[in-house]
Order: sequence, then structure tokens, then C-alpha cells
Amino acid sequence: MKLFKSVHDFQYEWSLVSAANWQKYPNEHCTHVHAVDVLDRRLDPETGVLTTERLITVNQSVPRLIMKLLGGDSNAQYVREISIIDPKKKTLTMRSQNLTMSNLLSVEEEIEYSVHPEDSNKTQFSQQATISAGSMMTRWASVLEDFSIKRFQQNAAVGREGFSKVLERFVVMAEASQQEQQKNIKSNNDH
Amino acid sequence: MSSSVGPDCTELKQKYDNCFNKWYSEKFLKGDTTPECEDLFKDYRACVMVTLKEKGIDKLLDESRKEAPFPSTSFGENNNNDNKQS
Repeated sequence: MKLFKSVHDFQYEWSLVSAANWQKYPNEHCTHVHAVDVLDRRLDPETGVLTTERLITVNQSVPRLIMKLLGGDSNAQYVREISIIDPKKKTLTMRSQNLTMSNLLSVEEEIEYSVHPEDSNKTQFSQQATISAGSMMTRWASVLEDFSIKRFQQNAAVGREGFSKVLERFVVMAEASQQEQQKNIKSNNDH
Repeated sequence: MSSSVGPDCTELKQKYDNCFNKWYSEKFLKGDTTPECEDLFKDYRACVMVTLKEKGIDKLLDESRKEAPFPSTSFGENNNNDNKQS
């Protein structure tokens, strides 16, 4: 079993980051993500908490040795993700797990976006992953896990870069739309 | 905007996504919990379900949901209900 953990700050406030999260893909850094689908969504009217289940379709390029170990081909892999947004607490928690090849390799990821404890204009991002080769892979478990962790690190890095770019564009669009709204209010008041 | 796993569903998906994103920023984040976009979601979801069945993904999902039903945060762990207080 291998563990991965990282913490990172995004220079934007939480509401914006949580909104941009839904528009994270596609981005030029994360070309391995091919499709994102919302399977289910529920809003709790009492707590205001929004829970979403999504299917992520991914295509991982994998070295031949690993491919042989897994006995698979480089077809699409699928990940199931559940995210929970609490707009009052300002937390966005996401948990995901691979659906395909789960008997050979299990990758569980947990992500949290929350208001930065020292600066409420910033968002803290923490990411954790547990990667373990299944029982069928005992002899090669270590090889598979090492590769998977490295790949996870790479994906995590491009994920952050990609999301940063998405955030930059998102801010520009959000400001433009706000200015547009204010103009409309003003022109309505002038009548 | 991202594509759907079912290429035929991408257009329906993007219609829904646009509606949701607008609702999310303009209503949800401002405390308005009136749901919207439900018809668009129904159409999009119906399309995706067909693709999931075709590709056998529905079976994989059922397995995963047995361990961690929706809505739930945990995948096969004990649920830590921190919000039991108050």
C-alpha cells in the first residue's frame, strides 16, 4: 500500500474555487481526462448541502510492463467520484475510487477545498490518496504500487496546474459578468 | 466544456452543465436552495444511462454503490458523522 499526501493553496476565495471546480475539465494539462458525467445530484433542503455523484472517464498511457501485469489494454478507465459541498461551512470534499481493474489495483483519493485558515481570500487544497495492489498481484504489488504512486503524483501536479489556469479564466469571466449585471441594474434604474 | 462518456449525450450534457453552473454561482452560493435544471438533467441522464449499460459501466457502479451508496462520503469505511452535534 502506498500513500500520497499534498497540501496546496489557491489564491482565490472558496466560493469561486468551488464553482470553478465544476469547470475543471477539459484543460490542456489534464489530457488524460476524456469525459465527465454527472450521474446523480441531491440538494438537502435543510442543511443546504449539495451531494453529487460523477463518473470520470480517463485514458492512462501505461508502460508495457505494467500493461502486461494488469492484463488490460489502454482502453478507457472509469472512476466514481462523490463530492459534498457545504456552502455554510465552505467545504468541498471529494472522494473517488477506480471502478475498472479494482481487483488488481485500488486507487482511493480524497480531496478537500476549504477556506484557508490564515487568509479567508485564499483556498486550501488538500489531497490524499491510498494506492494498493490487489491480492492477485502479490508478486508484483510493489512494482505496480510504485508506478501508480508516481503516476498519481504526475497527475496531481498537472491537475493543480490545469485548475490554476481554469481559475484564472474563471475569475475574468466572473468579473465581466458582474460588471454586465451592474450595468443592467444601472440602466434599469435610469428609466 | 467536458464531453460525456456517451458522445451522443454531450450536447444534452452541456445544456445541463450550463444551467447548473449558472444556478450554482447565482443561486446556490447565495443561499438559495430552490433546485433548478431538473428537466435538463432528466434528459441528459436518460441518455447517459443507455451508454453506461452498453459499456457495462452500470455493473461496475452497482458494485461500488453496494459498498458506498449515494449519498455517502465513504467508500467501505465507517462513516464519521462529525455533524452529529447540535
